[in-house]
Amino acid sequence: MWEFFVRSLDASTIFTIAALGELIGQRSGVLNVGIEGVMLFGATLGFITAKTTGNYLLGFLVGIAIGGLLGLLHGFFSITLGGDQVVSGMGIWILGFGLTTYIGSIFTGPLGMERIPATLGLSPFFFLGIALTAITWFVLSRTSLGLMIRSVGENPTVAEVSGVNIAKTRYLCVISAGMLMGLAGAIFSLDYNPVWSYNFISGRGFIALALVFFSMWNPLILIGGSILFGTLWQLSLNPQMLLPGVMSRYIWRTVPFGITLGALLLMSTKWFRTKWGAATPEALGQPYVKEG
Amino acid sequence: MRLGDVEYKLQKRVSLSGMQAATISILAIISALALFSLIFILARINPLIAYREIFSYAFVSSYGLPLTINRFIFILLCTFAFIIPFKAGLWNIGMAGQLYVGTLAAYAVLYAFGVNEFQSLRVSPQLIILFMLIAAALGGIVVGSIAGFLKGKFNLNEIVVTMMLNFIAFWVVSFMIKEGGLFMNPGGRGESFELPASLQPGLIMGVPFTIFIVLGAALLLHFMFARTKIGYKIRAYGHNPTAAEYAGISPLLIPLLVFVMGGALAGLAGYHYFAAVPGVYKIARTYGYFGDLAFYGIICGLISQGNAIATIPVALLFGGLSIGGRFIQGKLGMSFGVDFALLGVLMITLVAFQFFYRYRIVRVKTRKESMDVGVLR
Repeated sequence: MWEFFVRSLDASTIFTIAALGELIGQRSGVLNVGIEGVMLFGATLGFITAKTTGNYLLGFLVGIAIGGLLGLLHGFFSITLGGDQVVSGMGIWILGFGLTTYIGSIFTGPLGMERIPATLGLSPFFFLGIALTAITWFVLSRTSLGLMIRSVGENPTVAEVSGVNIAKTRYLCVISAGMLMGLAGAIFSLDYNPVWSYNFISGRGFIALALVFFSMWNPLILIGGSILFGTLWQLSLNPQMLLPGVMSRYIWRTVPFGITLGALLLMSTKWFRTKWGAATPEALGQPYVKEG
Repeated sequence: MRLGDVEYKLQKRVSLSGMQAATISILAIISALALFSLIFILARINPLIAYREIFSYAFVSSYGLPLTINRFIFILLCTFAFIIPFKAGLWNIGMAGQLYVGTLAAYAVLYAFGVNEFQSLRVSPQLIILFMLIAAALGGIVVGSIAGFLKGKFNLNEIVVTMMLNFIAFWVVSFMIKEGGLFMNPGGRGESFELPASLQPGLIMGVPFTIFIVLGAALLLHFMFARTKIGYKIRAYGHNPTAAEYAGISPLLIPLLVFVMGGALAGLAGYHYFAAVPGVYKIARTYGYFGDLAFYGIICGLISQGNAIATIPVALLFGGLSIGGRFIQGKLGMSFGVDFALLGVLMITLVAFQFFYRYRIVRVKTRKESMDVGVLR
């Protein structure tokens, strides 16, 4: 039982870190639907680096770096070129899916390194996830930088008049968002499940995207949601741990996706929105074009 | 930017003619192929030889050409499943889920008729094939309409919803064809039972009959968007949903309708690959691969800017590239996934080229006088 719980928290860490990245980007008004692609890149390149050099740290750094680069690319398409953010995000996802399939295929199989030591069975990244959540919450809601980020996401025109550099703020957010997504991917392939196989993020990126909508853009609700989804995911992988013999294991695999739909549906109801207050960043998804 | 006495400036396009759009799209494809040469070079393969092999296998060889045509039909159906919602400003990335369920529905017809016993029921095979087609479309419609309904009624993000449905449908197929599922092959092997020979539709000049469905759909879609009221309503909604609502266009009906139409076509794509293409005639163990191929529909739809007729040559090209990519992977000893890598490179290049659909580069000759002033200073 304790083992199951610990495994669930480990699974939730990946959701937390990836979704935190997306949350930061969205708070500044940039939607990135390509989380899955960024995670695939971080996971695959991190895995290859660690496997060829035998060094975990290098693997994580490469994962973070490629995430940051893809964030920069998304920023270039959506901030500098002012393009459609969904088109760019989709591009990053399909690029990640296609290219990592090719690059990683000769590395198919286990990492074959000593596992990263755990405390009480919990991976150190669980604590990192909590720390990152706390930092994100603090920065977004208690600092002037956070105020700048939120104002850029709510009303860029007003923010610019009050002296905020829109492009710079958005780039900062999109790049750090990408780094977090890349890190989440690297944690997946180096710690949570150190075996490379094709398209192995298998929808976690899209669930992280749903989590951000679900969290009402609040990091504290987000971590609660991640733990819920992490537990569901773990349960769907090993249903025999809690409910032996109920339903086929294939039907269990659909559960996290079904629950995601249910959660999205719940938060779209009037009851939920009036109770929690929808905090959608007003300028989400809109490229900012300076007038005049 | 300045080069010599000519200055280049960016200018926002007011309108984009069909010819200009086509030029940009062709340039995007050429750039992507040029960029992809890097991957061949990194694998120590001469890109010219690689492309020659790809194109000669896909479009000339008597082994490759039929495969290319089969894949062309599949990609084109997936493209239509993508562009109908796209005209309404919605993203259908759920072609995979829709085609899985469409396939299951088609096989459910067989199952209902008792697979091999249907002949004793004196039902003609043609009728069963027709039922299978209808079931496949209906299966796709069921999955598609979930996304359309949730978008229209509750404004749920259709990207997340269709992706979740993809995964759900993927595992449902496994449930049906593996480990004692209803459609399991008697021999196990993790695939479905096979289509009886009498229900395997014949080929017309070596081409599956589904080509008529897809070409008919192309004409119909073109007509719908160019000439009919409903096509206009869909485009109006895609342009500005709020304004469309004020003009009396239902914000529930349009998302539902486009996803119903898209889902039906994706369902037929499932029928095509698992029941009409020679050599398969069953839900294969690697059905996930066919689901992933459906993503070519997204790129094909974006490159052809939602024009149903323009998708035909693009889908043919992509069908050939994916078949040829798979072929040289074996022939030139490259690692798995060349066709998917190509998919990724095409997509990201296209995203970069989106810019040119909105802006153009104009040449401004700087005046001689101003140059002289520069020199005098």
